[in-house]
This record gives sequence, C-alpha cells and structure tokens, in this order.
Amino acid sequence: MAAIEISGLSKTFLVKNKKPGLRGSIQSLFKPQFTRKVAVRSIDFQVDQGETVAFLGPNGAGKSTTIKMLTGILHPSEGRAEVLGFCPWKDRKHLAYHIGAVFGQKSQLWYHLPPTDTFELMSRIYELKRGEYMARRNELVRRFGLEPYMNTPVRKLSLGERMRCEIAASLLHRPRILFLDEPTIGLDVVVKQQIRQLIREMNREEGMTVFLTSHDPGDIEQLCNRAIVINHGQMILDDTVANMKREYLTYKTIELKLAEEAKDVSLHGVKVLAQHECTLRLSVNTSLTTIEKTLSDMLRRFRIRDVTIEDPPMEEIIARIYAKSAVHKQSGVLTGK
Amino acid sequence: MHGVRQRSTEGGRRGSRLAKLLKYAAVGKVTIRNHLAYVTDFFIRSIFLIIILYIFIQLWNTTFRGEGTELIAGYSFEQIIWYLIFAESFVIACPSLSTKIEEEVKSGDIGYKLARPVSYLWFHYAGYMSEVFIRMPINLAVGGMLGILVLGPPGFGWGWPGFLLVSVGAFTINFLLNMMLALCAFWVEETRGLEFVYHKFLFTVGGMLMPLELFPQVLQKVCAWLPFQAIVYFAARTAVSFDAEAMWRMLGTQAFWIAGLGAALMFIYRKGVSKLHVNGG
Repeated sequence: MAAIEISGLSKTFLVKNKKPGLRGSIQSLFKPQFTRKVAVRSIDFQVDQGETVAFLGPNGAGKSTTIKMLTGILHPSEGRAEVLGFCPWKDRKHLAYHIGAVFGQKSQLWYHLPPTDTFELMSRIYELKRGEYMARRNELVRRFGLEPYMNTPVRKLSLGERMRCEIAASLLHRPRILFLDEPTIGLDVVVKQQIRQLIREMNREEGMTVFLTSHDPGDIEQLCNRAIVINHGQMILDDTVANMKREYLTYKTIELKLAEEAKDVSLHGVKVLAQHECTLRLSVNTSLTTIEKTLSDMLRRFRIRDVTIEDPPMEEIIARIYAKSAVHKQSGVLTGK
Repeated sequence: MHGVRQRSTEGGRRGSRLAKLLKYAAVGKVTIRNHLAYVTDFFIRSIFLIIILYIFIQLWNTTFRGEGTELIAGYSFEQIIWYLIFAESFVIACPSLSTKIEEEVKSGDIGYKLARPVSYLWFHYAGYMSEVFIRMPINLAVGGMLGILVLGPPGFGWGWPGFLLVSVGAFTINFLLNMMLALCAFWVEETRGLEFVYHKFLFTVGGMLMPLELFPQVLQKVCAWLPFQAIVYFAARTAVSFDAEAMWRMLGTQAFWIAGLGAALMFIYRKGVSKLHVNGG
C-alpha cells in the first residue's frame, strides 16, 4: 500500500528582482520585475508504508519545497499528490493527525517553557486520550533520555537535547509517516547516532514510514533503505541506498599530517589529491582497496601525526550522479527498481 | 488507503467537540504561561499607561476649566478620565498580531503550525484572547489606582459586567481586523506599516482619544458605519455610562461586524495560504 504517491508535482515561485543601489530599489517599487523560479519540476514517485526514504540533493534542489507540499504547507503549481489517501493541501488538517514533521532549523517547542508543556499542548492538539498520552509520553521520555530536562525551559537546552525533544514531540501521536527535514543538522556525532537509532527502532517496531532530507551521508546510510536524488527541481536518481553506495560512494578522502615530507606515495587504489609540505590529501577508491590497508601501508612508511577521514561531500556525489545521468539522458531517471 | 481516511478517531483520539474546545483552551493556557516570561514588558507598558493617563488628566482638567461647564457632550470630568483609563487599558492589552505573524512567515515557523491538525486562525485567536484577558485586568488595576488617587473610587454598578460582556466582542473585532492586516504577510512579509495606520484609525475614529460624542455630528455619522467604534468606544462607554438598551444595541452591532469580518478573514486566509512561500529550506 502506497503511503505517498505523487505525479507530475511542480512548484514555481515568482521571485522579485531587486537591482542594487538606492536607484534600483526605487525603480523596483514602480516597475517591479519578477523571475519565475522552478523549485520543483514535475516529479513522480511512490513510497510504500514502512519504507525509509532519503530525499537528497544539494542546496536549492527542491527537497524542502517537496516536503512542504507533501505536508500540505505549500500548494503546488501543478500535479497531484496523495499522502495516506489525502490530498495534502486540500485535506491538511485531516492528514495532520497521521503525520509528524521535524524541520531541523525551526522549533515547535515553546521557547520559555519546559518541553513538558509543549508535550501537553501536543496531546490536546492531536486530541489524544489522557491515559494513552501519558503512557506514550513516558515511553518516549525514557527512550529519548529526556527525564533530566523535561522541566527545564527550552531556551536553556543544548541543541542536541532540544532536537531529541523535537523528535519525541513529533512522535507522541504515533504518526504513520514522519517527515524529517535535516533533523541532525548542527548536532555532534554522539547525538546523531542516538537519534538515528531511535528513528530506526520506531520504524522497525511501529512500521512508521520515514521520509528524510539530509546532507549527512551517515543519515542516509544508517537510516534509509532507499534514496531519491533531486537536483534543480528534477529527480535524477531513485535507487536503493545499497546500490547507490556501491556505485557512487566508492571513495573516501584521507588527510594525513606527517612528521616529514612524503616522497613517492604510490599505493594501489589511492590517488594523491594534494600535497603541501607535511600535509597529504589522498583519495582512496574503496572498491579497489580499504581504508585500513591504506593507513597501515602509510604507517609502515611514514610517521603520522594526525589523520582525518572524510566521506565525499554530497554535492560531489550528486555531481557524479548527474554526470552519469547525462550519459543516460534518453532513459530518463536512473532507477534500480 | 480509505481505511486511513475512515479511522479518524483511532490512535487514542477523542474526536469530539469537547476535544476541539480543549485543544484551543490548551493553546490559551500555554500562551499565558509563555507570556509570563515577559514580565519586564508588563512593567514598561504599565509605566507608559500611568504617564499617558497623567497627561490626559491634565489636558482634560484644563479643558473643563476652560469650558466652565460640568458636562461636555454629556460626560463629566470624572467620566471622561475613567473612559480614558478603560480605553488605554484596553488598547495596551492587545498584542501585536502583525509582529507575530510577520516573524512566523519570515522565519518559516508557520510551517509547523500548518502541519498540525489545528486551525491557524483559531490557534491565534485562542492565544490572543488569553493574552488580553491577562493584560487587561493588570492594566485596569494600574490605571484604576491612578484614577482612584485623583478622582476617588468609581461607582459604575452594572457598568462592570457590561464592560466585560462588550469587551469580548470588542477584542474579537480587534482580532479580526488585525488578523486581516497581519495575513498580508502571506503576500508581502512586511505588515507593520499597515498596523501603524490601523492604530491611528483606532486612536481617532475608534474613540481611543475621546468618546465619539465629542466629535462633530458628521464625523459621528461616519464612525457609526465603521467597525472601529465597536472596539474601544463601545467597551469604554458601557463601563462609564451604562445603559442596558444601548448595550444590547452595541452587542447586536458587534455580532454583525464579527460575522462580516469573520467571513472576510476566512476568504483572505484561504487565498493567502495557497500563495504562501514558507521560508527556509
């Protein structure tokens, strides 16, 4: 059964062009000029109940605009969508009982009040029965480790503590679909791991569909079994995460600070990206060799002061996906389905 | 798919009218609790109230002495001062909807409110009415102390319950008009200029500066056709010069404006929400 079904969904904005300077501002008052910006361009996909989908793309690709249309916040310019059988922008209030949403850079918690007050308000907004709400609330507080600060004003919480409260608040009413718009942005590694684990458990135990946008490869790899990539408002990939990793996340970057300048670094599957005095930047092709082997080879040859291992940035992965999709232009969306 | 649509009361939900009422009551309760964090704001407004009332007392004292009469347009000096105390207390009690909604649209926080099973307009109405019914008594207490100091204890009798009753309609109409202006943020994002102009209308033809009986006849007739009189003037006049027949006429006029403005607000909201550009990505 499809939890989300969209067809030909598009969104165009009219953006005012403001010329620089005072003269430009005055001209803009009397003769405003607008540019049509196509944020989302006729996208189609279907998400089944219980799936965990990563909705990816670089900044300005149309990810948040799509989520806003699916939650009924924005009306599309064209196309149709069905979320749990509802048209999001026509049946917004009915749909809202069955979905949860967390927007990473915004807050639903009342700033001067403790999280317990917002939870209480959510129980009334979602019309939850008292007994069931208390049981659910206690369960979420325990699982998200919120007991120590349930009565601390939100303005005094750290970002990680606040995000855990945000996600718990969005799960109080047992949503069938959870929309997460960059939920781990700005969080440290430990808190990210905790949040991912909790969402995975909710998906496994309650069959909740997860629809996530993120720039963090860790969110994608650890949370999602499917990835849809969007760029310039168009879908360019729809495949399982396993396939995507295999095809596109095939290298990692290692930055090494050595005790002495390295000469002649030649290892199988390793390319030198940059070298400056004792700092070396390597690209490791993980389909040909491993990080462990590369590091152990380097340790045998050089004294290493510091190591940094990085995943390729999402923009680079998207660039590679896009480059590949240009080759397959005639077959349209790259799909492993 | 149809199963989800039909099971609207599953998942432990009440789905009743009581549940809907409790929803907005809870919004009101949380708004009040959140607002108590702004105690400094309360104090500053109270100080402003005392200053402005003191100035008005001096102005009207001079005016009555200059006229050399006990009554001006049927109001005694004491009635005028108490009228202004009620009027100023009323207006200072009203929160700025334009600021709130402008901030929500600019920051993108409006997205959260629209993604919840709650009416955006009723949500703000519940918050607004909770705030005014906390601020209003405090303002009246502060202004009243000054009034008692200068004029002695007032004897309004039925004026008090009459004021309370008319205030509900008055604050509601004020909310509707302010909300219509504030929703312009859905199109233009900046609405405080419109709010400024609205406050000037309220100050003049709304009866905040003085009771409308003091205006020239022609202007009084114009004011009678505008909704502004149903806000400050109706409430303050009922308090200081209670007349049961006049009060029922006022309540009827308020009901008329609430129905008309309510319909207009719904229309504007529906148009605006479909055009809304929710900021932030």
